[in-house]
Amino acid sequence: MQHKGNEMKAIVSCKGITKVFGKGELAVHALRGIDLDIMEGDFATLAGPSGSGKTTLLNMIGALDHPTEGEVSVDGQSLSGMSKSALSDLRLEKVGFIFQAYNLVPVLSARENVEFVLRLAKVPAAERRSRADAALAEVGLKGMENRRPSALSGGQQQRVAIARALVGRPRIVLADEPTANLDSKTTAELVALMYRLNQESGITFLMGTHDPRVMAHSKRHIEMEDGKIISDTRS
Amino acid sequence: MESLKLLAPLAWRNLWRNPRRTVITLFVVSVGLWSILAMASFITAWGQSSRDATLRLLFAQGQIHAEGYLDNPNINRLMDPPDTALLAALNAPEISNWAARLELPAVVRSEYKTLPVTVVGVLPEAEIRISSIPQKLVEGRYLSGPEDDGAIIGLNLAKRLKTALGRRVILMITAQDGWLEERSFDVVGIYDADTAFEDTYIFTGRAAMQTMVGLGDEISQIAFEVPEDEALEGVIASLRAAAPAHDVRQWRKLSLIMGAMDASMAATVYVWMSVMMVMISIGVINTQLMAVFERIHEFGLLRALGLKPAHVLVLVTLESMLLIGLGVLIGMLAGAATVWGLAGGIDLSAFSQALEAFKSGEVLYLEIRPMDYVIFPLAIWLLGVWVALWPAWRAAKISPVEAMRHAT
Ligand SMILES: Nc1ncnc2c1ncn2[C@@H]1O[C@H](COP(=O)(O)OP(=O)(O)O)[C@@H](O)[C@H]1O
Ligand SMILES: [Mg+2]
Repeated sequence: MQHKGNEMKAIVSCKGITKVFGKGELAVHALRGIDLDIMEGDFATLAGPSGSGKTTLLNMIGALDHPTEGEVSVDGQSLSGMSKSALSDLRLEKVGFIFQAYNLVPVLSARENVEFVLRLAKVPAAERRSRADAALAEVGLKGMENRRPSALSGGQQQRVAIARALVGRPRIVLADEPTANLDSKTTAELVALMYRLNQESGITFLMGTHDPRVMAHSKRHIEMEDGKIISDTRS
Repeated sequence: MESLKLLAPLAWRNLWRNPRRTVITLFVVSVGLWSILAMASFITAWGQSSRDATLRLLFAQGQIHAEGYLDNPNINRLMDPPDTALLAALNAPEISNWAARLELPAVVRSEYKTLPVTVVGVLPEAEIRISSIPQKLVEGRYLSGPEDDGAIIGLNLAKRLKTALGRRVILMITAQDGWLEERSFDVVGIYDADTAFEDTYIFTGRAAMQTMVGLGDEISQIAFEVPEDEALEGVIASLRAAAPAHDVRQWRKLSLIMGAMDASMAATVYVWMSVMMVMISIGVINTQLMAVFERIHEFGLLRALGLKPAHVLVLVTLESMLLIGLGVLIGMLAGAATVWGLAGGIDLSAFSQALEAFKSGEVLYLEIRPMDYVIFPLAIWLLGVWVALWPAWRAAKISPVEAMRHAT
């Protein structure tokens, strides 16, 4: 475990991350040297124009992709050299994901979608169900546990995704443009929900976004441009 | 095990996401299997029926000859009537009937024509039980006993000789002493079989024939009937043991043409099965590839959530196992239903002229052969699952990052 400052602990630590897609003339330098620590309890936004490298960076942190150079550690554990299977396990245990769209498995009900990660983590059946229902209640979906995604609105689907991201008690929740497909009222509700979860339960959030309504709530604002972090401010 | 419990329900539900495609695959698999099963039943029934009809004429399921007789059938290669050991073996329960005959090459002559034939001296009492010729008389009567020196000849032979019931024909046979023995016979009966058979065989009383050629009680063959084909090998073995000096053969070895026909009927089923297997493979690969490409994003999501590539492989393979398994089940039911539906027999008498070449009985009775319902469905299922491994492997290789990137 790393300790920074007095009692602050880094959940995620990136050192000298670069990412190059492709080779030669076609090479795209998506990340050009990122040093970043995300602290326990952060409610951080990652902003920047389209193509600036937000998604790529989130993928590195979430162990979905590996950097060309540099090192990512999650919860004190370095990801370099880990097998695909071990990375799957790490995602399962330590990271919750919320994507922009298509977050849910269409043939599973809201409860089954949330339970899915618990089943992968081999949580016993009875506990699984109560935890899933509690998570759904937490995001305001009590009574909708048996609905399939097609019977839920876009905002409700994102709430299910949040419930699923939280139910595994991850060290960090990574959200990539979680409100991009939602109207402003739903966006406000969703951001308020995540903020409340962060405040009440101390869950660490890192969100890629360029939505000002999301940034308005953020306690730490990281700005990217052209694969680099150009500012990192706390409010 | 735990992951199977997680993935199996998911696989089952995924089957019904695109009902149209699922139904098409089910249709391809089940119709393919159904056609194989129906064809196997039909060909087996047809082959059996035509074979039985031919064997019932005269040959029976097997014959015993003196060593060397079959290579050169003549009066010097005869054998004595069965001794006690052979009699005991012939009277075993697996053998339903047997008949001892004297069969010799001969020449038949009428006022108009002289033709080579085979004369068979028979015991009418035994013959009625083992051969269908006595029932195929269209004119006259069958032989009354071993001493009966009338001749039973075929319809076509009568036509060629320009003779008829009640007229006389002359038979010439090489006798024991080497001289050509010649005698006239009354035509007492005319039978109707297929023309090749009619042109070949003339029947008369066995004792009458023995007297004519100067023999005692020697015979040339013992034909025996074994109703259960599975029992044939065992019967042959016990007969060989009882008569080690004789030549004991089953029908496949007696009539090479019939043996070959029997084998080619089985081969037809396998050729058809190969054709169907290719069609089913193409169908399954196509639909499963489509099913995978449609869900690239979803596989990416599942991988991002912590599903391993092996899990994805298992998931898609489970889907094809269920899908093809269901198709195979429907195909088996349809195959069985077809056989039951035709339980009354298929009446081929309308085609009997065209079918004479195949010597089929006139009504086919289809039956379910249990092994067909194990081997063919299993082969189709395994093949389907095996070819679907490729789409499954493609799905397992999908990278979560790529999948999510192209989704938006
Ligand atoms: N798999 C990839 N192959 C090639 N180029 C990629 C790939 N992923 C991202 N990029 C490129 O990297 C850059 C950063 O992309 P991304 O991280 O998606 O930016 P953002 O999320 O900020 O819009 C872009 O130029 C993008 O085209
Ligand atoms: Mg992005």
